[in-house]
Parts: sequence; C-alpha cells; structure tokens
Amino acid sequence: MSVSISEEKNRIARHGSLELVEHWALALSGLILLLSGMFELPTAARYKITAIPGLWWSSDFIASLSIHYVASVVFIVAAFFHLFYHGLLNDRGLIPQKGDFRASIEVIKTFFGKGEEPPFDKYLPEQRLAYLGMAVIIAVIILTGLVKTYKNVYAPDLAHGLILWSTWLHNIFFVLFILAFAGHIGALVLKPNRPMVRGILTGKVRLDYARHRHPLWLAEMSAPAEARGAAAAEPMKTEAAGSAEPHPSNGQSNNE
Amino acid sequence: MEKEMRLNRRGFFKTATAAAIVGTAGVLTVPRRGEAGEGKLASLIDLTRCDGCVDRPIPACIATCKEIKTGRLPEPVEPIPVPFPTRKVEDWSKKREVSTRLTPYNLIFVQKANVEVGGQAKTVFVPRRCMHCDNPACATLCPFAANHKHENGAVVIDQDTCFGGAKCQTLCPWQIPQRQSGIGVYLKVMPTLMGNGVMVKCDLCSDLLKEGKNPACIDACPKKAMSIGPRKEIYGRAEELAKSINGYLYGKTENGGTSTLYVSPVPFEHLDRALRKGPGEPGLGAAKRVMAETDGMGKAVLAAPLIGVAAGVTGAFALLSKRKDRVKKEG
Repeated sequence: MSVSISEEKNRIARHGSLELVEHWALALSGLILLLSGMFELPTAARYKITAIPGLWWSSDFIASLSIHYVASVVFIVAAFFHLFYHGLLNDRGLIPQKGDFRASIEVIKTFFGKGEEPPFDKYLPEQRLAYLGMAVIIAVIILTGLVKTYKNVYAPDLAHGLILWSTWLHNIFFVLFILAFAGHIGALVLKPNRPMVRGILTGKVRLDYARHRHPLWLAEMSAPAEARGAAAAEPMKTEAAGSAEPHPSNGQSNNE
Repeated sequence: MEKEMRLNRRGFFKTATAAAIVGTAGVLTVPRRGEAGEGKLASLIDLTRCDGCVDRPIPACIATCKEIKTGRLPEPVEPIPVPFPTRKVEDWSKKREVSTRLTPYNLIFVQKANVEVGGQAKTVFVPRRCMHCDNPACATLCPFAANHKHENGAVVIDQDTCFGGAKCQTLCPWQIPQRQSGIGVYLKVMPTLMGNGVMVKCDLCSDLLKEGKNPACIDACPKKAMSIGPRKEIYGRAEELAKSINGYLYGKTENGGTSTLYVSPVPFEHLDRALRKGPGEPGLGAAKRVMAETDGMGKAVLAAPLIGVAAGVTGAFALLSKRKDRVKKEG
C-alpha cells in the first residue's frame, strides 16, 4: 500500500484499512466473546443482569452460546488471517526486539516524570511486548475454545483430562484477556499515547506527533527503497505542496 | 394415543401375556453381576416389571442407593453461607430421609402414574434418576468441567470441583441434578458471591462399574426391572421388548438420545400427564436436544481456522504478486 503524508492536514497514515478491519474485527468480536463467555457462568440470573435493558437473554445459556459461537467465527478467522497474511509478508513491526523489556521500563518511568522518552520506531517497545502477550493469550483461548467446541458438537465423552485442561486454561486466559484488554485501554488513557487513538479509529495520526515521538519510523520511511528490500518498495504519497519527494513505505505493517 | 385406544380387555390380556413371556426371557438374559463390563453402556428400565416395591417401606432401589451413597457427601458447614443477592440456601441435610423426590441425598425415586388402559385402571411405577444422555448439555456446558460424560456413558459430577451454580439443572430437560448448599470448593473461594454448594445426581455407580460390578439399584431390584449392559445389546433388547408388548420406548431420542431406555405398555405422554411433577419430580414429556440449535454454528467455529488461513494465504500471495508486477513495470 501507499503511505500518505499530508503536511497541510498535519496527518500521516499509521494503519492501512486492512489493519483497521483486522483490529476492529478482533476487538469487537473479542468484546462480544468476553460478554457472552461471562454469561456462560450461572451469574446473569443470580445477579439480575437479565433486568438490564437489552440483556434479557443473558441467563439463557443456549442463546449466549450461540452468540459466543458467532463471535468466535469472526475472532478466529481474523486471528488466523492476521497470522498467515502478515507472516507470509514478513511484517515484523510488532514483533518484540532485543532490549524491548528494558526499554519498556524506561518508557513507563517517563510517564511518571522520570527521564525523557527515547526516539521511537512505528511501535513503542511496550506495544511490541503487549502484542506478543496478547498473541499468546489469544492463541491459548482459541486452541482451548476449539477443543471445547469439538467436544460440544462431536465428542462429549472426550478424555476428561483434555477437557479439564482446555476448560481451565480457557477460563484462566479469559481472565488474562480481560486484564490485557483493560491494560490496552488503560495505556491509551496516558497522555503521551492519546494521539494514537485517532490512528486506530481513522488510520492516521498527527504528523507533528509522529515527528516528535516516532522519528525512527519516519526516518525508515525516508530511507532509500533498496535499503529495505524490493518487496517493501512502494511509493509514499505526499499530499502537501512542496513536501518531500515520494518516499517508499516502511513495508512493515501498512498493508493494502 | 391411537395405539392405546385399540387396547381392549382382550388386547390388554394379550399384551400382558406377551410381556410376561418376554419378561421371563428378559430375566434369563438380564446381565449377571458385573456383566455391565466396559465400552459404551446403556440401561433398560422395564415398566411392566416395576411394582414400586409396594410391600416395602421404600422401594429397594431407593433403599440401596441411600445406603451406599450415605456419607458420600460431607457435612454442610454451619451456618451455611447465604448467597448474595438471592439468599437462596438449599439444605437437604436435615431431610435426608426424603425418598419421594430427587434430592442430594436421594438420587433415585419411584413415581406413580394411575392411568387407564383399555378401560381398566392401571398403576405404572416409574423409577427415576439421571438419564445419562448421549450429548448432555449439563456436562458439556459445565463452566468448570466438573460434570463429565465418560466413555462408558455415565455422566458424573465431580463433587470436588463443582461450585453448585446449578447450570446443569437449568440445562437438563428433566432438571435432575439437585443442590446441597454449604459443601464444596466454593466455600474456599467466595462463598457468598460465587457458587452455592455442590450439584448431586446419580453417577450410575461409576465406582462399582470400574470394579466390574453393576449399579447398586439394578442389582437390588427384586423384580429385575432394571438391567445394564453393552449399549447395542440393551438398545436391541429394549426395542424387541417394546415391539413384543406393542409398547413404547422413552430415552432413545429424548434430548438427542440417552443411555437409559424405558419400556412401557402405556404411551409416555399418558404417563407424563398422570405423574405428579414439580421440583425434583421430573415429567416424561418430549425432550428436544437442548444444544441442537447450536451445532451448525459450532461446526462453523471448527471451520473458522481453515477459512482464516485460506484468506490470509490468498491475500498475502495476491499482494506479493501485485508488488512483483509493480517492480517489473518499474524496471
């Protein structure tokens, strides 16, 4: 895809439309999975959640299972698409790098006024670590969920050990998913990260923000195409008059 | 219904004679002690034989079940934590003697149905316990995998991991599992906020089955009204018996099929109408498989990884080939 910069509008494309679709497919289906999964516990009737407008179905285990299944299809398709699509394209922008853990601690310290942020690439080190963490959580949830679904549909008498492990790992990683989700939202509440919210909603972030906080990303995009491999060589559209000559994209995670 | 209308006095006599002959043959072929064996099992309850043990204080099946299950449940804590916000404590520990319905201390009971057959009043006795369904939603949807369908067909609740949320009772077409508050693992977590005891139901005497023995109620029945054996064999025998008495089967298709087959000379809808029903006193009506409507979507979930992989691979190769073409064009 092409990465566009608009000096006039002070915007730079951070995510392609496909990435936005992947992110929101996972996020929205994930939220529905959290909710419908919670209603598989016998809590809705007990805590009168059924009285909340729109949640009358919450005590109906079969209704919530149907909803859980529908959301699972979206979630699993999106996750496997993400893995294979970006894997084959060798998109490595979100893969943790050496030193990310230490760098993350330094960055977190800056949120509390200690030291200054180093220049960042397209993604922050803690974003890369969070991505790995979320990927592990999602992988476990999907694998155990598939075992549980297979048992529900075809093999209710599957080995008890396998069902016990799948059920408990599904439950534990369900809690971890909630915590990771809360952490993900919590990170966006931090002032320095707030400009990124626009990015995940519209695909674009403020150009001055990118220049200030993600200079390594901009520098990489400005580097000669051959330096980054022909596969990633795509022209970067510039919309502003007098802006720099077309730059190739970094080819890391902006996809068509 | 139509079938039953044709039953006159002579017809009933013929049916009774046939039942007696087949029944006698049945006694001879009732599995001997320990014949339940391994593999998929099923049990047969022949209602032409059960007489409700009217000559005993309580039916033999109930008495023996109570005897061998007594002491299996730990004593509830005192006082039993009151669950928030329902404040619904279910304590049967002070009513252990109850034998006329299902309770955590009474896992089998005998229902009585007064019906009219061919113009004649007839009493049919129906021993009731867990049906051990083929695809039991009570087990597959247990959020803690505390309830499990074993390979031999028995559906067993693990009392050490059950939180007593009663989801299994809600999902069971007959609401068989019964709750005892004040016992179980929930006491060690958040007793007033999460869980409410342990769900208890017939486990087909799984421990005895493991030892190669029959469930206690089956061996205790003085009329040999109950039998257990390899599923195929029991299914065949039940069908043969029903055919020979021009009778009816229950449990073969109910809730998608079960490991318990009832054979009755009276249509089950008639019995259902005649039974006293309520909590712990299930009916004998039609029971659609609870999870049938979710199967299609479940299969879609299982296909989802393949769809995702196919889409990802296709998309990636399409983009790579587009890039290649562009590079070629640009020389």
